[in-house]
Amino acid sequence: MIAAAATLIIGGVLGYLGQRSRLCFIGGIRDFILVRDRYLLKGLIAFGVTSWLAFPIIGLVSGGRPGPFAAPDIVTLLLTIAGGFGVGFISTLADGCPFRQHVLAAQGVRSSFAYLGGFFAGAAIFHAWTAPLLFQLLP
Amino acid sequence: MPLTVLAEPRAQDAPPTSTPASGLRITAVHTGVVAGLLAVSAGTLLDVRPPDAYGLCMACHARDLVDWTINHLAGTRLTVAPASLVFPVLTPIGVLLGALAAAFANGEFRWRIPDRSWRTFLYGALVMNFALLAGGCSIRLLLRTAAGEALGLGGFGGLVAGVVVGTWWLRWRASR
Repeated sequence: MIAAAATLIIGGVLGYLGQRSRLCFIGGIRDFILVRDRYLLKGLIAFGVTSWLAFPIIGLVSGGRPGPFAAPDIVTLLLTIAGGFGVGFISTLADGCPFRQHVLAAQGVRSSFAYLGGFFAGAAIFHAWTAPLLFQLLP
Repeated sequence: MPLTVLAEPRAQDAPPTSTPASGLRITAVHTGVVAGLLAVSAGTLLDVRPPDAYGLCMACHARDLVDWTINHLAGTRLTVAPASLVFPVLTPIGVLLGALAAAFANGEFRWRIPDRSWRTFLYGALVMNFALLAGGCSIRLLLRTAAGEALGLGGFGGLVAGVVVGTWWLRWRASR
C-alpha cells in the first residue's frame, strides 16, 4: 500500500516536471548524435549521477544498499543486452522513451495513445507468449 | 526528407515559450536530479521492492499494473514483481496525471491528429517486450547501472548502441 501511494505521488511529480522540461531518456543521445544538442543528454546524465550518488547516501539512512548482485550467466547477459538494444532502437524510431510517450499522451498527442495501447498490451503479450516461447527455445 | 526536417523539433518538443505558471523554468537537469533522488528513495525507503533498484521504471511498473489488473479481473496468473503482489505500483497513472496537470496549467494541452497509429501501436508493444526481456526500460536500466549491477550495465550499453544505430538508420533513410 505504501508502495502504491508512493509511486502515484512520485509519478505525478515526475510527470509534471517531465512535461515542463521535455525530458526524454532516448532523445538525449539521439539529439547529441544528430545536431550535437546537449540539453536532453544533460538530463540523462544528471539522473545517472544523482542516483549513483544517492544509493550509498540514502543507504546510510535506510541501513542497506542494493545488492550484492549475483554474477550473471552468459545467456541472461546476452538477453539483457539484446533487450536493451531493442528498447533503444525501437524507441528511437518511435520518437521517445516510454516516459516521454506517457507525457505526450497526457498532452493530447494521439499517436502516443496508440503507443501506450501497444505498450500495455505488450505487457500481457510478453508473459503470455514471448516469455514461454523463449523458455522453450533457450537451453 | 532532408536532414533539416529530421533535426527540426516537433511542435510538442519545442521548449516552453510562455512564462510557466510557476514562474520557474524547469530544465531537463532539474528533472533528472529529482527523478534520481525519488527513484532511489522509492526503492530503498518506500517499499518499492524487491527486486533491487525498482523505484522507477515505466515498463516494469506498467507491466505490474496491467498484469495485476488482469489477474484480479480474469483470475489469471500473469507475472507481477514482488513489490506489486498485494497492491500494484501506480507510476504510469501518476505520470499521466502529473503531465496532464502540467499541460493544462500551462495551456499546452492540444489534441493532435494521429499519424501512423498502427505503427506506433506496434512500436509500443515491441518496446515493452524488449524492455521486459532486459528487465527495465531506459530509466531502470540506468538506475540498475547506478546501483552497481553488471546486468544493468550490459542492458544500458545495449540501449545506447540501439539508440546510436537507430539514429544512424533515421539519418540514412532521410538522406536517401
